[in-house]
Amino acid sequence: MTHQRILATVSRDEFLGRDAELQEIVRQTYPLADRQGLVVLAAPGAGAAELLRQAYDQLFVRRGDPVPIHFAFKRSDEPPADIARRFFQNLLQQYVAYRRVDPSLCNRSLSFHELTELALPGDYELVSEFIEGFERERAGGDAADFVRFCLNAPHRLAAAGRRVFHLIDCTQLATPSKDESMLAHEIAAAISRSHSPFAMAGLRRRMVDLIHGPNDGHDAGDIIRLERLSDDDARRLIEVSARRYQIETNEPTRDLIVQQLNASPFFIHGLIQAARESKTPLTSFLDCQRIYVDELMGGYIHRHFSRILDAAAPNPQTRKSLLRVLFESASSDTHKSSLWAWKKRLGVDAAEFERIVDGLHVNELVNSTAASVEVNVDLYVWMDYLRAHYRVEVAGEARALVVASALLETLKRAPQAMARKYRREAALGLRDLIPDFNCQRVPASLFHYDRFAEVHKGEDRDTIDSALDAEADLIRLPQIVHAAGCSAYSNLIQCDGERCAVAHGFEAADYTDENEVVWLAAEIDSKLEASRELTTEWCDRLASLARELSFQRVRLWLVAPEGFSPEACEVLNKREAYGSSRQQVELLTARIRATAKEAEEGRPNEYEMVIPMGMDTELIAAHTVEQIARRVNFGPAAINQIKTALIEACINATEHSLSPDRKIYQRFRVENDKLVITVASRGVVPASLAGRNGQQVDAKDQKEDGRSRRGWGLKLIQTLMDEVEFERVDDGTQLRMTKYIR
Amino acid sequence: MTDTTGENPVQARCIGDTAIIYASDYLNKLSGERIERECKRQLDLGCRALVINFRDTELVNSIGVSILMGVIDASEKNHAQVIFSDVNGHTANLFEMLGLTRHVSVAKDETEALSLIAPQTNTAGSTGS
Repeated sequence: MTHQRILATVSRDEFLGRDAELQEIVRQTYPLADRQGLVVLAAPGAGAAELLRQAYDQLFVRRGDPVPIHFAFKRSDEPPADIARRFFQNLLQQYVAYRRVDPSLCNRSLSFHELTELALPGDYELVSEFIEGFERERAGGDAADFVRFCLNAPHRLAAAGRRVFHLIDCTQLATPSKDESMLAHEIAAAISRSHSPFAMAGLRRRMVDLIHGPNDGHDAGDIIRLERLSDDDARRLIEVSARRYQIETNEPTRDLIVQQLNASPFFIHGLIQAARESKTPLTSFLDCQRIYVDELMGGYIHRHFSRILDAAAPNPQTRKSLLRVLFESASSDTHKSSLWAWKKRLGVDAAEFERIVDGLHVNELVNSTAASVEVNVDLYVWMDYLRAHYRVEVAGEARALVVASALLETLKRAPQAMARKYRREAALGLRDLIPDFNCQRVPASLFHYDRFAEVHKGEDRDTIDSALDAEADLIRLPQIVHAAGCSAYSNLIQCDGERCAVAHGFEAADYTDENEVVWLAAEIDSKLEASRELTTEWCDRLASLARELSFQRVRLWLVAPEGFSPEACEVLNKREAYGSSRQQVELLTARIRATAKEAEEGRPNEYEMVIPMGMDTELIAAHTVEQIARRVNFGPAAINQIKTALIEACINATEHSLSPDRKIYQRFRVENDKLVITVASRGVVPASLAGRNGQQVDAKDQKEDGRSRRGWGLKLIQTLMDEVEFERVDDGTQLRMTKYIR
Repeated sequence: MTDTTGENPVQARCIGDTAIIYASDYLNKLSGERIERECKRQLDLGCRALVINFRDTELVNSIGVSILMGVIDASEKNHAQVIFSDVNGHTANLFEMLGLTRHVSVAKDETEALSLIAPQTNTAGSTGS
């Protein structure tokens, strides 16, 4: 499929990995779109500017309503009047171009007179009026009025019955002046007032300020988060771009480029361009690193980072100090220094210091907090630039020496970078898995290698799955609210983020101090079953981490590819730590993800019902569940038991919850062999159940004396159903009751 | 029909000094309290036995059952006998689970219920409904 390029800088075929985001922007133009605005929060170098340009081209070619209008802020400190004028002319010129179906007009330099002449007869009067108004305001000499007039153009266009879709590119406003910030906010507000749909894109650490302005204004609309490209998309991008420029590449070099450039489309295009200019094939690591080092020292990569540093610290002496502070912070163990130390080393006043740190922070070269500045050392390309330029500009080393050692270092590093990637790809992804726990119950043997090995070793997958389905000993996993690699917390454990995770959460999703828990999970290397020594070492490491971070309640979970030796299992059991083999984790992942997917996609055999409390409405629920139970062949006795249990659950909710909305929320889920009923209500937790979140309700806890007048509900439910579980939810409680089909 | 104070009066009839009270289709708090009131009224009138007939009762809840316990208590204090009749299987199981059957007799039907009543209280003659 061919696409006409109007504003886009790369062909549609080379714009990879952003189909969903592109469609989301285009969908914003549909008349029935829910929201007026769409905000693209982009990671640096993720291609947000190109995304808007591609969207413009797509909308232009589509020829629908509304008319797309693209406007981009420039990097230079443009005076407000110039920005406003450009905004006005842009709007008018693109409007005329679209109406004439002449994309070439978008990029031409046209006078207002030419624009009037080019306007279609139906637009002539409107365009003339706009231009006359513009000339009048300009001649009036009041700069504020002139800017206001230009920014009101969307509103006047809408008032004249023209529907317009604005695409506003703020990606260059990383370190905007006060005027630029104000104008960006004013433009967003003006478009918002015109009730025209719009999409605004910019760096994620800057956009919120730009949209809301100083007064934290209007609701911005829907949000798209534009992250780095996936490795696969980045590899495809290299392949397609290289083919276009007839640069030869191969799989290993493409992989290396992706890793080294952090899958950034911006850097990838730069590197491929450089290879084209020097007519160098990218078929060996040496070829790649030669081009890469040239780029660091004087190419696209050099210009990119130099521009950011120049914008942050235009004074040469300050810039030199900045390079020194950045390099020294990056070289330290923690990669960070206190804000005070930074300020002292830079020797600038408070306002300038704030501007410097803000510029680096927004471009994600550092992460600043109120107390410290941490250099982002995860980006190879940024670290390589910093190291090389520190050595040349600050340490005064000979450029040739720096180039040579950069080449040697990057070549030596290449296999490590690839090994890291392979390790990452082979990792089980504990950090991503743990957040999916979500209070699910899973067979306990999946966390105890000794039990698992004893029963399942040598069995095929289906047999193991069936046995796990039948396992009665279940572990209820916590609800994890935050998970990150351990390196984000401490330098105590040196390993890839994917292989060691720290996850904070609550047992049974019960948000109390007693139920707070931290899972420390690590994937350890061992070709055979992990030995007692290795297991002890890792348990000690994780325990030290817990102590260092003052975690109160922790759960250690070690994963070794082949499991653990009997002696290692003893260590794990003694320390109440979990230990799993890779196979166990794969089985666990399949179970957890299947449930999560099911929840996401909705279940075909699930019914929901909300009834008001009181007025015997529990009978309506009882009759409903009777119909459902009949459909899945429960016997009459079982149906009566289910009905009575449901009635009791409804009464319980009515009597004990102090519910603010006086409603009972019910869900009936039919599974292969059972019916699961969930009865929830908002309000307070019944005293009889407080502190028993996630526990099975036990009939023995209830009063046995038949003369006791009340409090029989839970006992009845427990007796009538096969499984009963109480859960505290965000604002109330829910009771899950299960009845098996026999 | 002897209770006319509520909106949905409880059906009841007396045979000698035995009162037969008919529970409704759903034994809950409201219908339980109506039965309770009628039973107490019958006891106050000198009834020596209460037969509560559950022929129409499809569903019961724990509140309704707890109210029946109150009826049993009140009857014991008045040295009156309580018999449940025409209880369906599911409801009978619930009574069993909740321990009610330790304090009352359960009869298949009214005839059996009447036959279970101690002879001195089972004098013939209907007082109507």
